[in-house]
Amino acid sequence: METTENQMFSSYQRNPELFDEIYDKDGKIMSVYSELFDLYGEHSIKDYVKLNDKAKASFFNQGITFQVYDKKETREKIFPFDLFPRIIDPQEWDIIERGAIQRSKALNLFLWDIYHDKKIIKQGIVPMDLISSSANYLDQMVGVDPPGGIYNHISGTDVIKHKDGKYYVLEDNIRCPSGVSYVICNRTALKRALFGVFNHYKTHTVTNYAENLLDLLETVKPKGVDVPNVVVITPGMFNSAFYEHSYLAKTMGVELVEGRDLFVENDFVYMKTIRGPEKVDVIYRRIDDAFIDPLEFKPDSSLGVPGLFAAYKKGNVTLANAPGTGVADDKAVYTYMPQIIKYYLNEEPILNNVHTYHCSRPDELKYVLEHIHELVIKPVDEAGGYGISIGNRLTKEEIEVVKNQIKETPRKYVAQPILSLSVHPTYIEDTESFEQRHVDLRTFTVLGKDREFVLKGGLTRVALKRGNLIVNSSQGGGSKDTWVLKK
Amino acid sequence: MLSRVANNLFWMGRYIERSEHIARYLNVNYFSSLDAPNQLSQSRQFVLRSMLFMVGDPVEDESAIVDEEKVLYQIGLDTTYPFSIINNVKYARENANSARDLISTELYESINKFYHFVLNYDANAYVKNGLHDFTVHVAEMTAILRGKMRGTLLHDEIYAIIMMGVNIERATQIIRMINSKHTDALRAQGSYGDKFSNSFEWTTLLKCAESYDMMRRFYKKTPTSISTLEFLILNPNCPRSIMNSLNQVYEHIKVLDTSKKYNKESTAFLVGRVRAEYQFKYIKEIETDIQSFIEDILSSLSEISQKMEKEFFNY
Repeated sequence: METTENQMFSSYQRNPELFDEIYDKDGKIMSVYSELFDLYGEHSIKDYVKLNDKAKASFFNQGITFQVYDKKETREKIFPFDLFPRIIDPQEWDIIERGAIQRSKALNLFLWDIYHDKKIIKQGIVPMDLISSSANYLDQMVGVDPPGGIYNHISGTDVIKHKDGKYYVLEDNIRCPSGVSYVICNRTALKRALFGVFNHYKTHTVTNYAENLLDLLETVKPKGVDVPNVVVITPGMFNSAFYEHSYLAKTMGVELVEGRDLFVENDFVYMKTIRGPEKVDVIYRRIDDAFIDPLEFKPDSSLGVPGLFAAYKKGNVTLANAPGTGVADDKAVYTYMPQIIKYYLNEEPILNNVHTYHCSRPDELKYVLEHIHELVIKPVDEAGGYGISIGNRLTKEEIEVVKNQIKETPRKYVAQPILSLSVHPTYIEDTESFEQRHVDLRTFTVLGKDREFVLKGGLTRVALKRGNLIVNSSQGGGSKDTWVLKK
Repeated sequence: MLSRVANNLFWMGRYIERSEHIARYLNVNYFSSLDAPNQLSQSRQFVLRSMLFMVGDPVEDESAIVDEEKVLYQIGLDTTYPFSIINNVKYARENANSARDLISTELYESINKFYHFVLNYDANAYVKNGLHDFTVHVAEMTAILRGKMRGTLLHDEIYAIIMMGVNIERATQIIRMINSKHTDALRAQGSYGDKFSNSFEWTTLLKCAESYDMMRRFYKKTPTSISTLEFLILNPNCPRSIMNSLNQVYEHIKVLDTSKKYNKESTAFLVGRVRAEYQFKYIKEIETDIQSFIEDILSSLSEISQKMEKEFFNY
């Protein structure tokens, strides 16, 4: 373990086994971080404790909280935010951005194909089973043409930096990826706390997300509409992402609606306003497929709008993202991404895929069962970091449990080598010092008709528990402001 | 604007206003009773009952003894007590939450700060010696909120809806105070040296409505029943008067209903009617039968509220 002389980082312990983003191979501070490192070094850790408290208060007052339910009453908590930002230089960012667009476009073409001619299956590039056995494949979407030809308007691509210094995609989220509001809040909080540091770096803004989102949503308006009426639909204020829904509606300047505010008449969608019904053309929906329309999907859903899907099929309203996109962010489809990109775009993947073993294939299943201790086992259709087992953290008994689960439903599991996520100096409240913590990065890509946008920044998520590799907020993760530097 | 959200904003306005009036009522009654001129007004039981009466939970049993700390806690910080200040603030914030995308960040952050202040107030300190600090803070924070409403919102129909809520609630609360203090003045009548029309309770009432100083300036006399009622009910320049609230409600309904000639079934028509009735009234007509006046105006206000619901919030 090595320590440094910098005042704030004086007790920072570096584990040479881990890939620390702010140090180079020779143990020197990376050039992009050196100025930041010195600037932070001017403060003592005591100053920092105060700043940290201030930042927390700012989140509380802005009401950027989520609900925690315990026995007696619900309490509000803030997402832990770290004041030491992550910096991505322009060259690296270029790879991430191009890679994210490439994947989103390929996924969009893939979705069109599997809901229409299924050429990729007929040509034997991906197996039929991949789709027919997926719970997220919607038969109702077969043959439906989404306005503008776009399925995954908004994608959240999760990438990590591996020991080899390269970026790997962990997963594509193309249902209702969340987190973008935290990117913007993190920037605001860091500016409030340490505005001085921004003078030393030329950082891209992140506040342009909403205007770009609105522009792109307007490009996929239904036919025959001049200026579309865009709304955001939320499950309601008790949803954990409600802050984000209201933030997006407010910054786009559009209405935030709930299912009960909308109704369908003659296959057109209207909202109930104080001046009577008003037609709605584009719906950015933050409700899962199963709940959008009780007539078509879950009949007991009170979050959706009866008749919405019929209006959508008629082409009278745009839903973003389109129903049925979940089939393509399945972790089993993920493993075919290099082939999917090659097939539709005739390009080599820009971002690396992590090698994945399919438990549905007998030879790979055998390998997985024999090597569980060095693999990560993931259920293919769970989100939020649930159900993941990390082989080298399991006891012998637990390994047996996992093995049995896999044997029971092999289709449900994939396995990947345990990747070593890079680490980043993170302030830990309990010890009042900086420690190494694993990080990943969620990027946000928006596809419109013939246009796309990638938010220059992203949500760097930190696993706050020492040694933990799972960064999801539902698993006790925090986040950092992420600076993409200008060229 | 969505009907559902309009309804929430209307109630946000009402709950904010309500919490302020309850806070001031607690404060003024408690502290002015400490050195009140007559024994009854000075009695703790009398004051606590008056507080419960005002929030809408009167103690019917004359012989029952109410516990001071319990009553203060209930009305201030008890989340299980439907009329408490903390619940009003909670509801206000919940309503604001659902309309966060429509109101300004500044207004929302202030509501949120207000909520965290009330939520984190130490209940023990409050009942022991924090009543003044707590209630003054509540009143001040609501004043900030009114400032943020006026100063940071677009003065469009959203603002009009919120202000309708604020003003209908203000009128309602002022009447509740009048009712409560009128009852107190009747009860205190028999005690030494205090007749109904010159009762000490009128001064307390004016202070509860934050109108004492201005009333003194206007009449240059010690408050009596008739001057107090005239000031608080009919004086259009007193910002807390019923007349002023009705005038404001009328101004705001005009934003929502822009028709030149109001439909007789509309809210705007009803508001105009009620307003006209009080605009051309002698205080003597009211003073002879205060109880009927209180019942009439309360039912008019609730009728306006119901009409609004039907016309604008029906979803």
